[in-house]
Amino acid sequence: MLLAPSRNAGYNSLVPPVSQTIRVKVLFFGRLKELAGKGEDSIESINTTTIEQLFALYAARHPELAKYRSSVVASRNQEFAAWDTPLRAGDEVAFLPPVSGG
Amino acid sequence: MATLLQHDIFQLVREPIDVAALARHVRAPEDGAAVTFDGFVRNQSHDRPTLYLDYEAYESMALAKMREIGAQLHEKYRIHRVAMVHRLGRLEIGETSVLIAVSAPHRAAAFEACRFAIDTLKRTVPIWKKEYFEDGAVWADGELPPAPVATPRAKPAS
Repeated sequence: MLLAPSRNAGYNSLVPPVSQTIRVKVLFFGRLKELAGKGEDSIESINTTTIEQLFALYAARHPELAKYRSSVVASRNQEFAAWDTPLRAGDEVAFLPPVSGG
Repeated sequence: MATLLQHDIFQLVREPIDVAALARHVRAPEDGAAVTFDGFVRNQSHDRPTLYLDYEAYESMALAKMREIGAQLHEKYRIHRVAMVHRLGRLEIGETSVLIAVSAPHRAAAFEACRFAIDTLKRTVPIWKKEYFEDGAVWADGELPPAPVATPRAKPAS
């Protein structure tokens, strides 16, 4: 009873995050798809990884990607996202080059 | 949120866009004006003759962003209906790649909303075009969409 978790319990945020293995879907578009060699990937990671670290992982495998880092924007679950956004299980992360629709 | 979204159209298509049908769709008896933007494939890019274009999209996000633009139009302008359709795949010279039609009781709102819609689409909707020339192909220069710089919890207090 005393230890029952509560959605409102503030103490949860004081507990250091426990590292867990999660799976995320990763998408590349346009030029980035060509540089990454594929448009879609599924990757196992840990839940403290950020979008920035995820990109770095691919950039290490495909050095050409690293050159485009400053002109890439990231999204998480179809919303533009900051590079320091941590990943969560089941996330769909996409790396997007400058858009040129119209 | 807008109240008339059920009459709005947001689509990604692979077939030719029926410009006239969409322009008619937004017209209603209570309106007095409709403005249509018809974007189509130019025969050259930076003075190089273009053979054709190939468009691709992050489809689920592109549609979500198009709907967001539609909602913004209803919030910002006194308009009635919106139709916004973008074509994907291979497009030949002269074919319509994007069509935006906006109706309104009065013309000023329709003009302004249509302009806002195409400008915002070009800046924020995840669609890309590759331009094919006699001697190769290039990804068109685009615009980097504005994205959050840091997650809120990471922002320093100010």
